[in-house]
Formats: sequence, C-alpha cells, structure tokens
Amino acid sequence: MQTALQKAIELILSGDRELANILLVTARTCVSSSLISLLIGVPIGIWLGTGRFRGRQALVVIFRTLMGMPPVVCGLLMYMLFSGVGPFRRFKLLFTVTIMIIAQVVLITPLVIANLETYVSSVADTVRETARGLGFGRWKTLLLLSNECIYPIFSTYLLAFARSIAEVGAVSMVGGAIAWKTNVMTTAIMLYTNRGDFTLGIALGIILIAISLLVNIAVTVMQRRLSR
Amino acid sequence: MKLASCSKTYGRRTVLRCPALDFAPGRICALAGPNGSGKSTYARLAAGVLTPDGGGRVADETGVIRYMPQKSFPFRMSVEDNIRLFGGDEQRAEELMKALGLGGLRRQRARSLSGGETARMSLARVLMQPCDLLILDEPTAAMDMESAIAAEKLVDDYRKECGCAVLLVTHDLSQARRMADEALFFYQGELWESGAAETVLYRPEKEETRRFLEFYGGR
Amino acid sequence: MKKTLALLLTLVLILGLLAGCGSSGSSPAPASSETPAASEPPASPAAPETPAASEAPAASESPAAPAESETPAASESPAAPSEEPEPAGVNTVILKEADDKMINTYTLLAVNPDAPFVDADGNPVSDVAVNTAGAEALIDWFLSAEGKKLAADYGQAEYGDSLFYLLDGAPVYEGEITPATDETGTIRLSTTTSVNDSGLLGALLPVFESEYGYKVEIQSAGTGKAIAAAKYGNADLILVHSKSQEETFVADGFATVLPGFESERLSFLYNYFVLCGPADDPAGVKDCASVLDAFAAIADGKYPFISRGDGSGTHTKELSLWPEALGITAEADSFADYTDWYVSANAGMGSCLVMAEQMGAYILTDKATFLTFQANNGVM
Repeated sequence: MQTALQKAIELILSGDRELANILLVTARTCVSSSLISLLIGVPIGIWLGTGRFRGRQALVVIFRTLMGMPPVVCGLLMYMLFSGVGPFRRFKLLFTVTIMIIAQVVLITPLVIANLETYVSSVADTVRETARGLGFGRWKTLLLLSNECIYPIFSTYLLAFARSIAEVGAVSMVGGAIAWKTNVMTTAIMLYTNRGDFTLGIALGIILIAISLLVNIAVTVMQRRLSR
Repeated sequence: MKLASCSKTYGRRTVLRCPALDFAPGRICALAGPNGSGKSTYARLAAGVLTPDGGGRVADETGVIRYMPQKSFPFRMSVEDNIRLFGGDEQRAEELMKALGLGGLRRQRARSLSGGETARMSLARVLMQPCDLLILDEPTAAMDMESAIAAEKLVDDYRKECGCAVLLVTHDLSQARRMADEALFFYQGELWESGAAETVLYRPEKEETRRFLEFYGGR
Repeated sequence: MKKTLALLLTLVLILGLLAGCGSSGSSPAPASSETPAASEPPASPAAPETPAASEAPAASESPAAPAESETPAASESPAAPSEEPEPAGVNTVILKEADDKMINTYTLLAVNPDAPFVDADGNPVSDVAVNTAGAEALIDWFLSAEGKKLAADYGQAEYGDSLFYLLDGAPVYEGEITPATDETGTIRLSTTTSVNDSGLLGALLPVFESEYGYKVEIQSAGTGKAIAAAKYGNADLILVHSKSQEETFVADGFATVLPGFESERLSFLYNYFVLCGPADDPAGVKDCASVLDAFAAIADGKYPFISRGDGSGTHTKELSLWPEALGITAEADSFADYTDWYVSANAGMGSCLVMAEQMGAYILTDKATFLTFQANNGVM
C-alpha cells in the first residue's frame, strides 16, 4: 500500500489521460470563471466604491450577502434554471463546462465586487480630493484611482481563483461530474471518496494544493513587480 | 476671486456657515481657528471638492483653483511622476524638487516616503501650474522647521509669479503671522473675525480670538 | 526571503500531513516497508509510534497518522484476520448473502419525451429535449447478446467472480442498433452509484461508444436522485435498482415503451445485496435462518449499523428488512430513538463501507461494490 503522496506523484508521472483531462477541465473552468468574475466585478466594485447615489449602501449589503451564498444553493438555482424543464432549457447548457463557469461567475463575482468596494471606498475620497485639487477631471481621476487598485485587484483575483478551484457544490450540481467532460478536481475527489478510495482522493487533493500554490506564487510575484 | 456665501450641514448639525468672501490677487489670506472650527470644511467647499448645502459651487467657474488637502494622497508611482502627473513640465518640476529638497528622492516610490516628505511632494505637485486661487490646508504641519521655511518661501514666490490669491489654512500662528496679508478667524463653524492680518492676528476685537492667540503664545 | 521560507515550510507540513492521512490503512504485505515518515520527514514529529504496531503484526503499518487514530485490527478480535482467506486489512466480511430477499435487480427505463414534465413551480413543460433515439440504441445494445455477455462476464478477470448475473427471462433485442447521428450522439444516462462505482459501466460503455459512435454521459447518484434527474428532463434513460420507485416512475408517465419491447421496465441484471459486518460477528447473524432474523438480531442487540440514508436503492432495500415493529423509514424522526446504534450516513456506498470498517458496524451493500472495496484492500 502506498502513501497518498507516492500515489499522487505516480499519478502525475504516469501521464494518466483521465487525470490530464480532469486537470484541463479544472483549468478551463477556474481560469475562465475567475477572470470573467474579475472583468465584471472590478468595474462594478470601483463604481460602487466611488459612487455617491441613493441605494449604494443597499447594493453593497446585497453583494456582501451574496458573497456568503452557499455554492450548493447557487448550483441548485442554476440547475433549476437550465434543467430540462427549466426556463432556459433551450440553451442546452446543463452538464457542460459553460454552465459550470456561469455558476462560478455568479458565485464569485459578488466576492470580487465586495472586496474591491471595500478597498476603493477607503481611498476614493482622498484620491478624489487630491486629484480634483490638482484640477483633474473625471476621467483622469478615475485613471488615478484604477492605478491605485492594481494591488487589491491581484489579491482579489487570488481569492476568486482560490474559491473557484476549491468549490465543489455548484460545479457538481450543474456539471454532474461527468467523466471526460465536466469532472474537475474537486468533484473527482468527491467521487473517489464516495467510492471509498480515500488515497486517490488525497492524491488529487495534493495536486490541487500544489496547483493552488503555484498560482499563488506566480500571482504574488507579478503583484510585487506591478505594485512598485 | 469671489467666493459665495455658503454653509454645510451633516444631518442636523451645521458645521459651517460663512458669508461671501473676496480674495484679492497676489495676497495671502490666513485661515486660523481651533480644531473643529470649520477651517478644513471651508477649504474643501472653496476648492469645490465638497458640495455646499443647496448644491452648486462656492467659487465662480472662471477662476482656476488649486487645492492641497490636509491628507494629500501619494499616488502609486515615483515621486517625480507624482509631481509631473499626466506629463507636467519637466523644468518646473526640477525647480520645485530642488527647492524642497526632493531631488534625491525622485526615483523613490511615493508610498515609501515619510510624512514630511509626502507633504513636500504634495506641495510641489500643487504648485506645478499657475492658478487664480491656491488653497493650502495645513501644508507644513508634518514638515520640520527647515522644510517649512523653504515651503513658505516657495509659496510666496509662486504667488508673486502668477499673482494668485492664496488661502492658507493653518493653526501655526507664527506661520500665519509670517506670511499673511489678511486673516480670517473661524470659531464654532462661524466666521468670527476677519480683516487685515495685523488686526486679526495681533489685536483682535473679540474675546475668543484673543484667547486663541494667547494659547498659541501670542502677545 | 523569510516569507518564502515560511511558505515552503507550511507547504511541506501540509503535504506531510496529507501523506500521513492517506496511508492510515494498514498494509497487507511487509513488502511496502517504507513508511511515509521515512519519505516525508516533517510528518514524523507529530506522530509517535502507535502502540498497536507492537501487538498486532498484521496492522504494523499504521504509522504517521496523527489525524486518524483508527487501528482496526487491534480493537477487533486479533484472531479473525488470520482465519479469513480475504486479503488482510479488511475486517468487514460478507455474513449473509444469496437470500431471496436480497436479490438486487437492475432495470433500464427510457425516459418518455412526452412525459408530464413540470417545472419548479409545477407548471407543465412540453418541449423537453430527450434523446429517445440515443436511449433506444443504448438499451438495445444492453439487451443484445453482446451487451449481455459483457455485463455477465464483468468481474471475472479482476475478482474471479461475476459481479452481476443475467436475469432469467430478461428481454432480448436481436435487431439492428441505430448508429449515432449528429443529433442523437450524446446520451445522458442517469444511474445509481453501484453500477458506476463497481466499474461495470466503465468496462461496457467504451465498447458501445466506439462501435456505434455515441458519447454516453454518466451521472451517478443514488436511485432517488437518478430518478429525480430524469423527472427534471436531465436524462435520456435511467439504470436503477428500486422496484417501488421504478413503478412510481412508470405510473407517473415518465417512462416509455420502446419498439420491440413489452414493458417500460426492462430488468436484465441482478446481483445480491449482502449483509456485511465485522468478522467476529457479535450479533451472530451468520447463524440466523433468514436475513430478516439477522436484521432483528442486530436491532435487538443494538449493534452499530450503517445506513446509506440517501434514498438510494440500497437504502430502500434496507428499510424493507427491519422488523416492522421498529418503524424505521426514510424519515429522520422514525429512527430518532435508535441513534445509539443506527447511523444514517447520507453518503455513497464506498464511504459507508469505510465507515462500517472503522466502526466495526454492520452494513447492507450490493455485492459488486463490496468486492471492489475488498479488492482495493478496504482502501484508504
């Protein structure tokens, strides 16, 4: 009997085709969903953080609440919407990678928004005062503010990616963990665990953590460079 | 440079009420008063970064205003880039950096500066271009004596060069006395006393002003 | 620099811990003598030698496992493993099988495209996309001579015993099987965990796929969930093993009769449910006359029992075997009084088997999954 670590290393070295497919699907899902969330969430976060309009506070509360939405609930919602009897059935998206990405975007975007809003609202007033005092208009002020957000955007991305790659409730619900198609690291771990094969589950877990670590190191290095 | 009368209310608390004021070109007007008297609020209203009760603007649209807030923000870039934001004149920046002793810090990240250095950088930044009204909110509060004197001289030169009016918010009485031609004294959100600097800052008419002056070691 | 070091240290610690957890099962042969502690030094300081290692040689390899403190062989009777011919390490054995009550029949049902589908609010939905042609092809193949032979032979190579048997009088298909077209190429099969986890579908479907050009997408869940997926229009056919639930499914109009067959329910495979438990069998179920007596004996003695508790076919079967006086049903309050011995796990078969192994509990399982579990050495 091998240790999980040996098994993990063996799995990687063996070039197992199913593992490669799982990794590929995982990468596609997580990278797409975290990037799309960032693309949607960052502008909204900056807008919310700088905006002064009625209902801003309410929106912030809503997004902070959504941030805590359990993944399964999000998955269930998407499942019902895109199910064979759901209102969006004609898109035929259930059990595809696309719907997994959509579900994760729904799940992660509030996190991005709330995170960025917190940072932006903490500096927005001083930045605005300083920029206006120097005679800059709206656009230049926004440009300066965005420039300030580089660092938090990176850390927010890390958070989004981490949540996305670690998330299992939503993807298993809408993806169905179908082999060769929508099975990602977390759902594969769940499947193996259900079969009682804990070692393989842990081996996959080790790979998952290693990937997370690599991404973290890469992003941290980039963050260091850009935040100078 | 004319500023309309204005007031600012937060909730039910009126923090400032001020009549219309006129700032003459080429003159420095000190704005003094204890904490919470509404000095900074007035500076922000005048600079247009704060909207007065009832909306609109306090200053008329035609004049160019430059304003340095009490906590001026060091942007995430080098000191030189901070001063020359969006492509400011290189020579002017050079002069200012030299005058404020920032030459050696030009490549430093602005975020890594000390409080006094940040204040010097912010002052240089606001003096890059000529204007009609320069509003400085406690510009030298974080600086050491030497830098403060250099800063005062720089502001004085600047106003002579472009003939602008200067509104200097300060609670450093000796600085006000050194620089100001006119003075305003704010007390509990009201303009308590105004006039020539010799009067307001040396022989005030009102009791509260006198107490303030005494507290700060005046005559 | 310090940060990097701290980061690395944390990683090594995590890996060490995981490696430790992963190897907590006991080892069958002395051949794999290198312990994780040797290959992963950071794990060792947290894990002192387990006392069990010195007493029971069979369980000597349960080393650096700080998180999991399970030492199965030591806590159960030490004599049992040596008597059993099974590979060492698994203490759970089959105690009761081949009882008529324990037959586990697998049934194929094609989803009716014109079924009375309703959405979440109960409004009827008419245009549900169901790939009936694909479902028909797959069912035809399952019931063809080739499909049946493959299914019946499955397990011979690996376990020396068939895991599934062909049902006498199962429907037969002898006609042509329609190959895939662009529209019918993807078949959604919703099935129970046992057929999937036992590896049956993994062995059969690639043959079908390569021969006829289809792509079969398997979702595996308990029978209850598998049927629910079909009712929501997310499956083209189901392969399940719970007669009562199948009959309701048919009665509700969700299944269709395929051309060439007489019934919606096409039962073709079976195997046995088996009652498993610790080798020393404290409840004495081995000597019980019938499986019903065995369940009564477990309940009488309040010996720990793991229930799937997830609405699966296995769960449904188990519920039917308890003495009626106990009144155990799928509802949680029906067994609220028995929680000192009746464990409702709400988990897959494999997880439940692991749990039973750890707790020395009795459990009802399909034979296929148990044999896989045993062949994997109770993995884990």
